[in-house]
Amino acid sequence: MRQTWAILLDAYRELNARKLFWLTMILSALVVMAFGLVGINEKGLKLVVWDVESPVVNTKLFTPGEFYKMVYVGFGIQFWLGWVATILGLVSTASMIPDFVSGGSIELTLSKPIGRLRLFLTKYLGGLIFTAAQVFVFSLASFLVIGIRGGAWEPGLFWAVPIIVLLFSYLYAVSALVGLVTRSTIAAVLLTLLVWFLSFGVHSTEQVMLGWRVQRELETASGEKRLATQQDELKNLEASAKPAGTGEAGEEHAESKSSRDLERKREQIVKTERDLAEVRASTENAGKWHMMAFAVKTALPKTSETVDLLRRTLVKSAALKVSEEHDAPDVLPFGRPKFPVTLKSFQERVMEVQNTRSVWWIIGTSLGFEAVVLGIAALIFCRRDF
Amino acid sequence: MVAIPAQHDAAIDLKGVVKIYRGRVHALRGIEMHVNRGEIFGLLGPNGAGKSTLVKILMTVISPTRCTGHVLGKPVGDKATLGRIGYLPEHHKFPDYLTGAQVLDFYGAMGKVPREERRRRAGELLELVGMTEWADKKVRGYSKGMRQRIGVAQSLMNDPDLVLLDEPTDGVDPVGRRDIRNICAEIKARGKTVMLNSHLLSELEMVCDRVAILVQGAVSSQGTINELTRDQERYEIEFSGELPVAAMNAISSLVIDGKPPQLSPHKIVVHRAEAADIQPAIDTLRASGVVIHSVRAVRPSLEDLFMQAVTDPRTGQVLKPGAAPPTARRRAPAGIGGRS
Repeated sequence: MRQTWAILLDAYRELNARKLFWLTMILSALVVMAFGLVGINEKGLKLVVWDVESPVVNTKLFTPGEFYKMVYVGFGIQFWLGWVATILGLVSTASMIPDFVSGGSIELTLSKPIGRLRLFLTKYLGGLIFTAAQVFVFSLASFLVIGIRGGAWEPGLFWAVPIIVLLFSYLYAVSALVGLVTRSTIAAVLLTLLVWFLSFGVHSTEQVMLGWRVQRELETASGEKRLATQQDELKNLEASAKPAGTGEAGEEHAESKSSRDLERKREQIVKTERDLAEVRASTENAGKWHMMAFAVKTALPKTSETVDLLRRTLVKSAALKVSEEHDAPDVLPFGRPKFPVTLKSFQERVMEVQNTRSVWWIIGTSLGFEAVVLGIAALIFCRRDF
Repeated sequence: MVAIPAQHDAAIDLKGVVKIYRGRVHALRGIEMHVNRGEIFGLLGPNGAGKSTLVKILMTVISPTRCTGHVLGKPVGDKATLGRIGYLPEHHKFPDYLTGAQVLDFYGAMGKVPREERRRRAGELLELVGMTEWADKKVRGYSKGMRQRIGVAQSLMNDPDLVLLDEPTDGVDPVGRRDIRNICAEIKARGKTVMLNSHLLSELEMVCDRVAILVQGAVSSQGTINELTRDQERYEIEFSGELPVAAMNAISSLVIDGKPPQLSPHKIVVHRAEAADIQPAIDTLRASGVVIHSVRAVRPSLEDLFMQAVTDPRTGQVLKPGAAPPTARRRAPAGIGGRS
């Protein structure tokens, strides 16, 4: 343990010596301070001393506590912790491994009675301290602001610390591997960001594919329902069109109308069957593409979903209100449907599919990625001649 | 070269250490080396001879391609043994955000030294290397000599039984060099072993009990400086006048260790001779009526030995720096035999 503490203490001292570490801390503090300077009253927002009237954000619609929580989720988590703070964390810590393995430095450490694997993993853990400290400070400050200004004390806000550290750990594993192989800080930052954007891109693609698949599936279900209805209607028409008596003029007229209805119905059914065949083919296609995107996504870290996990956790544990109602028009994202599908049913189905992905799938597969990347890095570190 | 028996009670006992880097670069070509406990051992050789590679193998920084050997009685590569070894690498780089005292504390902790002992030893060692006043200053503000001093102190934090110092006097002023020599002597006086890797031959000559010369990845020679120079020790007698044939014959019969003297018109060189051995030659010269100008005992320096080791005996040219090419077979320079 003595050596582990020494490495962690050294990691803290290293970060402490970096201007960027303190710059990030100050930025975090400023963000929360700005967060605290925004108030809400019955007319709208209050920026320090200035009133900004707003019909959509005022105490008639939200309590101050709910307002601060919404801002925390929307801005604090999604934007600040999920993007800006993580990028700053990556930039700040990217040089730790390249510096560690640089000539003249690594010989001193490797010559001590400590195994290489433990040395590498402890050093990696030291890099996570940065994010843990940063997120803790941000969460603490937010906790105080929401408590003091909003009157809502929510310890669930501290879930941000393990979840954001988890998100950072996926990316820092890539940074550590690249830093170890190239011994270049710039390469470590750029390639890690590339992997991040790649996983974000794959996530977005999978979401698009999922939406496409769900819309087509709903369309198929709707089409099948319509076909069944039309076929029932046809049967009824056929039943009612059977000759019941001898040739009266009125009956002839009715028979003629009935045969026209039958003909029209049959045409409708043919059209429905044709449309349905097209939709089914499209559904099959969408399912295939979605499976491919999903398979690629499974192998990559789920950065977006991990951040979303934080939103979900906080909404659940800290009773945060999240606006999920939109005044968006009832327009589906993948073109006008051939069979009626409502936006609401589409959104509910997408949400349902997403919710079938458990927390353990999100974290487990991401940690699997991290374990593979770290395993490769550790193998290189353990076998390399320095 | 004389075969060295394996001795696990030696500080370092190596047999057949081979290191081949990727690209078939043969850095070490079968090192055999023996360092006794309680001595100061000097490792010298030209650039690229494999000195640092060898030390790094001992410190597990580099893995050998093949290696049979022991360090402090344990097989080379044993991690636990590293806790009993102090090491100062060449071109070492301490984290510049640490102070001198923090450097000692950090590397002491990495060497598993308990906190209380770290504090006590850091104070003592800072005093020893003359850095007490700079203990709380950041390393980034240190001169190269000061970094070397802190480096030496760092290598002693775990009170090691064996200290490996790779170019410890690099960038150090004469006073600092003397201090480091004294530290080495003090470590030796405590019964510990020091292995010095240096280019400064005169310094090694001053402090080392035994040395090994590495040339192109192999030990060219090793032993005490006396052992290594004995073949080269000689008396040179310079005279003027014509030496009669009878006198020449008489002097030529003075064979010592099977080696007759070298005679030239005005100079006689008697190899491996003691002062008493050359008295008959002087008597003969006097009796012949020639004028003796000088009688000089010549003992080669370590530098002479080194230069001889790194000179190609066929061409008389200094061997190219670096490890030997894979296909070339290293030739031992003439006149230098391995001893132990």
